[in-house]
Amino acid sequence: MHPIFVDRRLLGFYLLGYLPVGALLIIGLGQHEAWGTAVVFFLPLTVVYAFIGLSAYYLCLAFPISGDFRPWRSIPAQMSAAATVGGLSVGIAWLWGALLQSLNIGLRTDLYLSQVWLMFVVGALLFWLAIAVHYILIASIASHRAERRALESGLLAREAELKALRAQLDPHFLFNSLNSISSLTTGDPASARRMCLLLADFLRDTLRLGATERISVREEVSVAQRYLAIEQVRLGSRLAASCTVSEEAQIARVPALILQPLIENAVMHGIAHLLDGGTISIRADSDGACLRIVVSNPVDSDRPRSKGAGLGLALVRQRLQSQLGTDGQLHAREEQGSFIAEVLIPYETSVPSGAS
Amino acid sequence: MTELTTLTAVIIDDEAPARSLLREYLSAHPDVSIAAECANGYEAVKAAGELKPDLLLLDIQMPKLDGFEVLDLIGRDAANVIFTTAYDEYALRAFNVHAVDYLLKPFSAERLAESLVLARVRIRNREPVPVRELVATYREGSGLDRLLIRDRSNVHVIPVDQIDYIEAQDDYVSIRAAGRSYLKEQTLGELEQHLATKGFLRIHRRYILNVSRLARIELSQKDSRTAILKDNTELPISRSGYAKLRDLL
Repeated sequence: MHPIFVDRRLLGFYLLGYLPVGALLIIGLGQHEAWGTAVVFFLPLTVVYAFIGLSAYYLCLAFPISGDFRPWRSIPAQMSAAATVGGLSVGIAWLWGALLQSLNIGLRTDLYLSQVWLMFVVGALLFWLAIAVHYILIASIASHRAERRALESGLLAREAELKALRAQLDPHFLFNSLNSISSLTTGDPASARRMCLLLADFLRDTLRLGATERISVREEVSVAQRYLAIEQVRLGSRLAASCTVSEEAQIARVPALILQPLIENAVMHGIAHLLDGGTISIRADSDGACLRIVVSNPVDSDRPRSKGAGLGLALVRQRLQSQLGTDGQLHAREEQGSFIAEVLIPYETSVPSGAS
Repeated sequence: MTELTTLTAVIIDDEAPARSLLREYLSAHPDVSIAAECANGYEAVKAAGELKPDLLLLDIQMPKLDGFEVLDLIGRDAANVIFTTAYDEYALRAFNVHAVDYLLKPFSAERLAESLVLARVRIRNREPVPVRELVATYREGSGLDRLLIRDRSNVHVIPVDQIDYIEAQDDYVSIRAAGRSYLKEQTLGELEQHLATKGFLRIHRRYILNVSRLARIELSQKDSRTAILKDNTELPISRSGYAKLRDLL
């Protein structure tokens, strides 16, 4: 259906747009002694032209102005359509004129009945006008749609990012951090601000990195350190961290945020259950073929086993599996009061090792 | 004019920023004096026993002993409790017993003031604190993994699988585990519920048995049976207890 019929107001505006056309016809073609005739004759005709003009929509759709618009193909079709409309206009004008004449109410439509070519030109020109109007209409609808699509796809992307964030972030981490900020606001505003910035950076990293596939171990470790810095505000001296990454391992590529769930586990199920806390140690090294990342932390051997435990490990395992198949492995074990999670993946750098 | 009665409160949270936030919020309430600040459950149990505060501001997620376990241990000395936590999953259960207020971190000073109004009313009316119900609702469905026993200021944590049997003694239960006996203020009926899914069975009006400790059953007299445990302890079995045991084995 023609888009103009979807909204009655649009149709109204369209018909109003034809009012000046009718006025022009009356002024341009009316005769001095017969203004009344011109008004009665042309106004209804203008309405008819308006509706005939709507058919230009389908012609415009058949020859869309796009990348491969070929005027030499569309113009003959449009000209023949305009000529047809011109002919139609002559016929309609003649019938209308004859009808008015037969009413015998003193209208001088005979003035126009003889001017066949004039009516032809008026009909054809108005149809060309309708074609131009429709091209504009189609373009504006298209740009509207494109705008909406862009907005929709933007929203979808944002939603996907948020989903990724939700999957990776424990909401309680956020709530607890916000509580810490709330607490620092009066006594230590500088620390509160620092915490806000850390949190913002960390969230941005998590969002940004959710989309990309691989990052360097150095980047991965810096995200983890930011997370630990935030948790240190909350847990104070109970949480310490040490980080040893060999030079070779620094530049190795890993699936983004593969370390994060392990660190979160170490804090939530390890350090947080210990009265005096402990040190989370991150080690990464490589023998050239295999990259090894180890996260270890002290644990309380008789801590209550919560439902959440193991969720982070499952997440890491799943991501390794989906991105590296059997090449990526995660081994987790608990021995002598320590929890040790070890990630083994093929050693890869962004620069192929053969290049100089 | 309302009379200002001073109200003693203990803050229990393992996170220093969370404690300082509460201290700051409470400073706006001159009728509330902070008797102690505890960084873990052990300190809390001790402080509650010694200071007998009117009000506990209690975090739930803490090392070693969580908030509900602290309440369980404090038992009779329990004051009114306002839970403070970032976790909302216990909220419904806590509200179901109408005993407490539940503040979700981060919370505002106004929100704390509201729960203090509730607490003052409860304290003035000397409404008893339904600790048992609170702890029981918390345990709902999950069963017990360990028993907590307070012995003066010491806290014993006994994993459920180390318990041989439990005997009722007036208002207490005596828990036999790893060659020692512990007294706990609780009814056998409650424990029976909590331990039902953990391989324990009420074999007698006065006994709950860890079924895995059973060596054999002997017919001592007509219609009267005795359970012989692996360490040769003998426990009586009632008729209904024997029926349950037989179903199980």
